[in-house]
Amino acid sequence: MDTLFLTLMQELLNQTGLPALTIGNLVMIAVGGVLLYLGIVKKYEPFLLVGIGLSCIVANVPGSELTKEGGLFWYAYKGVENLILPPLIFLGVGAMTDFGPMIANPSLVILGAAAHLGIFVALISAKFFGFSLAEACSIGIIGGADGPMAIYTTMKLAPHLLPQISVAAYSYMALMPLIQPPVMRLLTTKEERQIIMKQPRYVSRLEKIVFPVVIAVIVNLFLPPVAPLITMLMLGNLLRECLCVDRLAETASNALLNVVTLVLTVAIGSTMAADTFLTPNTLLIIALGLVAFVFGTGSGVVCARIMNKISGGKINPLIGSAGIASVPIAARVSHLVGQQENRQNFLIMHAMGPNLAGVFGTAISGGIMLALLVK
Amino acid sequence: MTTLPDSMSGALLLSGIDFLLSFLFISCIGVILYFFPKLNKLGEITEKKN
Repeated sequence: MDTLFLTLMQELLNQTGLPALTIGNLVMIAVGGVLLYLGIVKKYEPFLLVGIGLSCIVANVPGSELTKEGGLFWYAYKGVENLILPPLIFLGVGAMTDFGPMIANPSLVILGAAAHLGIFVALISAKFFGFSLAEACSIGIIGGADGPMAIYTTMKLAPHLLPQISVAAYSYMALMPLIQPPVMRLLTTKEERQIIMKQPRYVSRLEKIVFPVVIAVIVNLFLPPVAPLITMLMLGNLLRECLCVDRLAETASNALLNVVTLVLTVAIGSTMAADTFLTPNTLLIIALGLVAFVFGTGSGVVCARIMNKISGGKINPLIGSAGIASVPIAARVSHLVGQQENRQNFLIMHAMGPNLAGVFGTAISGGIMLALLVK
Repeated sequence: MTTLPDSMSGALLLSGIDFLLSFLFISCIGVILYFFPKLNKLGEITEKKN
């Protein structure tokens, strides 16, 4: 009787995931816990980190069916793998974004390219550390500070690095208010930080409607590899600006964006299995991501300083860091650093121009990489 | 199709091309936006939502 009882208990134990639990799983469960802490307690990008954190924990519990073939998280990952989710995220982002500040001040769009030096510093550094060129490009694109674009490029160039790159990209975007200000202060003088910029011009409805159509044509014509993302961004923006399909614009920017974000976060978290994530390369990728953000911020500020000199002191160099993308976090950081120097200074609308141009800057960089590397 | 060498020189070449073309593309977008105010001569669209 005792033997039968023990045998049954042993069989029951073998049905659980306990025998397969490894130290690596425990470490990754702790990592998931940290992500949940950052999201829930520290409020760093909670919309992303809550889903990523829990699915990371679940993915490291042996026996969980969710991440196995046919499981819900597995299907969620198929949405990433087949490049369906990132364009849908862009549709929602386009529907909630006013491109007026970018249209109003065309000269500032150049900052959207200048603030991407970090991409190339990280790319070259990654190559130096032994990554393949395709992997190095995926690591570099972290510096574009654009989550969907980082996922899109990585899935095309180095899909095995998706967990590391997406976690690094979204974590640093959340930490931009901590990373950027010291670099911005280091590269500017107090007088420059206090510059008050002229009010941007009024942008008409017609201009706002024509803008997404023109950009969609340009991107499909010259940058086909990233056209799905930017076209969806522009479709979302057209829904918003044409003022005659409010329900669609509302759905794209709220309900749809929320659903897609939820699916995307569990898809990313479910790829963070111990055997693929706990490698020395992960630490290296996370360090290179930080390098990319720091150099991107710095190059944007330096370019804005040059533009300030050329314009005769009309441009506050703090808006240069917003060219790194990550809408609207980077623009908000420029505004807050400016406010710390001068309470009367409202840089947010000025910084939104380079910030939105940064989205295109990242797309252009990613598009050129894909065009040159993907056969 | 010519392939980029998977080496440090390939990385430097790709970075150089990409950085320069990024500036070129973004500048082109800036030039196009510079002419956007001219669109207003075509007419006006009501701001009222349907």
